[in-house]
Amino acid sequence: MASVGRILSHDIRQNIQNFKSLFGKDCRWLSSQAIETQAKSSKENADDKRKVDDRENTAPLEFRFKYPEFLPDPNAAYRNSTRERLERMDMMARRAHIDIPTFYVGSILAVTLSDSHAVGKTNRFVGICIERKGCGLRASFRLRNAIDKQGMEVVYNMYDPTIQKVECLRLEKRLDDKLLYLRDCPIEYSTFPFDMEPELIDETAPVRINTLKVPLKPPPWLERWERQDLKGVQEFEVNEKRRRKAEKHKTPWEEFDLMKIYRQTIPMEDQKDIFAEVYSDLHKLEITRRKMARKRKFNRPDKPT
Amino acid sequence: MAGLLKSFANLQISCKFLHPRVEAITVPSRGRKHLNYWPRKRNPIWLTKQTRVQYNENLTADNARFIKEVVDTKYSNSELSLGIAGSLRTSPLKVEPIEPKAEWQPSYRRTGVIAKKIGIYPLWLKNGKRVFTTLLQVLDNHVVRYIPPEDYKPILFKRKHKNNPRQERLGCLVVGSDSCDPQKFTKEYCGLFTDSGVMPKRVLTRFRVSPEAALAPGTPLVAAHYKPGQIVDIRGKTIDRGFQGVCKRWGFKGGPASHGVTKTHRRPGNIGGGGEKGRVWPGTKMPGHMGNRMRIHKGAKILRINTKYNVLWIHGISIPGETNSFVSIYDTILPLRRLKESPSFPTYLPTADEPLPEELFCDELHPFTEPTIQFSEES
Repeated sequence: MASVGRILSHDIRQNIQNFKSLFGKDCRWLSSQAIETQAKSSKENADDKRKVDDRENTAPLEFRFKYPEFLPDPNAAYRNSTRERLERMDMMARRAHIDIPTFYVGSILAVTLSDSHAVGKTNRFVGICIERKGCGLRASFRLRNAIDKQGMEVVYNMYDPTIQKVECLRLEKRLDDKLLYLRDCPIEYSTFPFDMEPELIDETAPVRINTLKVPLKPPPWLERWERQDLKGVQEFEVNEKRRRKAEKHKTPWEEFDLMKIYRQTIPMEDQKDIFAEVYSDLHKLEITRRKMARKRKFNRPDKPT
Repeated sequence: MAGLLKSFANLQISCKFLHPRVEAITVPSRGRKHLNYWPRKRNPIWLTKQTRVQYNENLTADNARFIKEVVDTKYSNSELSLGIAGSLRTSPLKVEPIEPKAEWQPSYRRTGVIAKKIGIYPLWLKNGKRVFTTLLQVLDNHVVRYIPPEDYKPILFKRKHKNNPRQERLGCLVVGSDSCDPQKFTKEYCGLFTDSGVMPKRVLTRFRVSPEAALAPGTPLVAAHYKPGQIVDIRGKTIDRGFQGVCKRWGFKGGPASHGVTKTHRRPGNIGGGGEKGRVWPGTKMPGHMGNRMRIHKGAKILRINTKYNVLWIHGISIPGETNSFVSIYDTILPLRRLKESPSFPTYLPTADEPLPEELFCDELHPFTEPTIQFSEES
């Protein structure tokens, strides 16, 4: 019995190890069930797979990565089903008027918005998305670019009705959930031309991951990067004191804290209900977007040779 | 003669100086009434114990089913049985408001409603500004009883109200919210709802109303009782934060973090002077219990109303209480922002021929169903 238990616990630990790579700070899309399905035996796995397939008929599982803002705050003290439904209705009403493309942290976006201080004109900003935050109508993203060699960051609310257009110029992911360390990198790593052409991408292919590793400038830094487990940063040296303190502040047990993961996630059943509600509308919007993209592709004149 | 008078006056003044006087210092009771008093809860005498001990009654499955059936049949004919939250339930009595129906006048006071605070999220105005709004759901409100002014004798009036004819002219309307299974409550508590015929409610509140605004027991109150753009006052119990220090409780700045400071980072510092004032003055801001007391948020504006889910969007985030707690809403008493035009008086009664639209918006609010905001010259 004890040996079985040990094997099981070993199994679970291994699964957590696999799972670790996914584990970031903002992980509302994770679920208790996703872990369980991996930990079960092969026969049970097959059963679960069938269940998952059934779910895919309603809303694909990648929706939690594509539309993370539809998942509410997992803190039970802030949850209310009526409020969440009303919020989703408002979000869909806004999405009917503006095409918000799928994007991730690391994608390059261009945002056009009406400016109340320049009547009749628009304001366009291009930059790399370094952070995605908030859920529901509070959802926002932060764009960074360098203008005249000066780093600029703009936070946009995704459902702000003054936003006229959001374009995804380059759809890709980076190695980290937040790219705030670009503030302490040489400026060329956050410089993007304003006249960038949107790249044509295959919608069906998996999203490209940019494995670029950026160098950090020497300290002083804005944050203690040595304490954060950054993947998209080249090896860097810190002095003895900072290294010692970083060692002291490590919390390696947190990734095994199942209760913590549970508290930070929305249960799979809730996710299913949430996406079932908005799936048909989102799917329709996706189809129209794809059609528009194809049209644009067709209309583009060939380059004179 | 004049000189004589003058000297006499001088004598009087000098006499005043010579007259022995008692050295008295008046101590203002600054903030004693508002800052630290703990409001005593004075329930009306008719309010009985609400909940009973949920002991094990050893009910068989059949018995449990039978009880459920009885409850369902008792309250289902009037569409009052537990349904989806927020759905409109009509009165079992099919009664008209208490006759005669009077025209609204500015001096009349309408009833309020009980609402559940369900969360906070941003909306945008037509000028592109983002405002945070608190969502309050008017959860199956029904009038439970009406007490006319001559019968309304609360246990204790405040002294200033004792001989106030205006207060004595007002009656009292008991409103209930959040229907629950009657098995949760005591028999006596369920008896409070027999007159109105509504399902026993978890939350009861009294509202002072003019006799002209009285409603028959069983009348449902919905979110359309208000109109978008109206100003309301909201009364609720603030979040219980426990025993807190002065930095959190009163927003004191605390002391410096470093430069040789020891043990004085979040302390209040000096609490009074010396000499004649050598004591702690009443009302001094000190550490203590914070929150969990009734507070009124006055002058809040209603920006949007959903008539299907009975939700009010209130401008601002400082509505007392946690999410999923109950507050009571009533027309504001602020003199400059009181109702100027006639509201739905005495309350909104749904009519079949002209139903309200699902969403009602205030003028300056941008509905999400409208296209992107474009700023033009005239705006």
